[in-house]
Amino acid sequence: MPDFNLKDKAAIAGVGNSPYGRRLGRSPIDLAAEAIANALDDAGLARGELDGMIVSFGSPLGADADTLAALLGLRLRAYSQTWAHGRFTASCIQWAAMMVSAGFANAVACLGSWSLSHIRRPKFGGAGDREGAREAGGGHGEDPVFGMTSPGAGAALVARRYFERYGANSRQLAAVPVAFRKHAALNPLAIMRQPITVEDHQASRFVCEPLRLLDYCLVNDGAACVVVTTAERARDLRKPPVYISGMQPLPGGGEEFIWAYPGLGVAQQQVFEYEAGVQPVYRMADVTHKDIDALYTYDAFSILAWIALERFGFCKPGEAADFTQNGRIELGGELPMNTNGGLLSEGHILGWGHQVEIVRQLRGECGARQISGAEVIQWANCYGDSLIYHK
Amino acid sequence: MAQYLKPLPTITPLNQPYWDALRRHELRMQRCEGCGHIFYPPSPLCPRCWSRELRWTALSGRGRVNSWVVFHQAYFKGFEGEIPYNVAEVELDEGPRLMTNLIAIANEDIRAGMPVEIVYDDVTEELTLPRFRPCNRQI
Repeated sequence: MPDFNLKDKAAIAGVGNSPYGRRLGRSPIDLAAEAIANALDDAGLARGELDGMIVSFGSPLGADADTLAALLGLRLRAYSQTWAHGRFTASCIQWAAMMVSAGFANAVACLGSWSLSHIRRPKFGGAGDREGAREAGGGHGEDPVFGMTSPGAGAALVARRYFERYGANSRQLAAVPVAFRKHAALNPLAIMRQPITVEDHQASRFVCEPLRLLDYCLVNDGAACVVVTTAERARDLRKPPVYISGMQPLPGGGEEFIWAYPGLGVAQQQVFEYEAGVQPVYRMADVTHKDIDALYTYDAFSILAWIALERFGFCKPGEAADFTQNGRIELGGELPMNTNGGLLSEGHILGWGHQVEIVRQLRGECGARQISGAEVIQWANCYGDSLIYHK
Repeated sequence: MAQYLKPLPTITPLNQPYWDALRRHELRMQRCEGCGHIFYPPSPLCPRCWSRELRWTALSGRGRVNSWVVFHQAYFKGFEGEIPYNVAEVELDEGPRLMTNLIAIANEDIRAGMPVEIVYDDVTEELTLPRFRPCNRQI
């Protein structure tokens, strides 16, 4: 173990959000300002005590950290920002934990904010999306020359590969959006709250086959923010701290494809039987799967929930199709997932909506969708990054 | 030739030989002179051994369907008339996979592992695309 052990050294002291919705008629900066102010208020921190900021999704679709700092009259000692993709939520929180542990800042607002309603369709993919035009193509497998475009198409390619390799099908995949919609029905913040059935899923149109409309997340407006500080400082603040006890960064390289774990055989990945083993995040947090009371994951597309479950060893490759049936991932099930409704139904807040929900669950603030006795909750993604929180 | 309305490839000094070869109706990818690794997309060095001794080698143009999708939504004007159209990931006999469209087959007849061969599609005087069609072959 490194001698710089960050287990439980940092904590989430406050969370906040703007409304989530379509055509809110508000800009990303406006939404971000509301989320930040609400998070500070939740923590009981004054504006002047906020001296760090990390934004996971800046311009042109989101709000930049330095612009926010200037417009909100902040005096930041440290800020950072990631490239405009949704995969960096855990990374931002990990950096924030390191920042406060290293003394670079005392309180770091980590957030995502965007407003997509005003952008003409298609918002992702097509001529306005320059992902695929970059040298060596896009990060989600985009290759526009052949009409291959949009993040969802890359997920569809993974879904087809998975279906063929493991004999799974679209009907089984329906369990994921159906479960998350049930959760959203209990979440006043969620954009889509009308329950759906497997039949509704099967009747929804293909966008990029084999993925259907109900396999795709929402495209919306909204902002959410968490404030990271030292565990010591958090204990003196308004709300009980939620400790960051495990952290696992994003792995990269030729054996990785954005929406698939190594071995699945997409893009240039080799084909082999992936073995999750004990992922480092569990060692760092000193917990096992049995301790995880709920799992949250980046569900831009339903298939990503299956990939995350297998990547982190909740089940073996090919088993998530069965694992997710019969309510196991629903509230009251063995492993509730995305109790906020996820990107699929609460709204696409770049993963920040999930972080806010996790903290509220661990504080027992979730009302009708509260997981009773929740103590340890994990954020784990198809990409291989993760956080483990405990109260 | 009618005006070509679909997206064009982003040609860089690194991938220029790939597109030039296609215009001559050859499928060429980089082969490492150090370790023999054949890889795609083009890289300045061998991703396996980091040798810079790379040679653009002619490939068989044969492979198998690894995965595929069917677009039911139009994202590009140039593809609007072709909805639903397929995009396939073909694994070449030599190992690398590439994105392509399958032709001479109905979308519902596409199967994983199906053997395919390259068809050089001269879409403009300047641009030839590698598309693939089913072929008969033994395992």
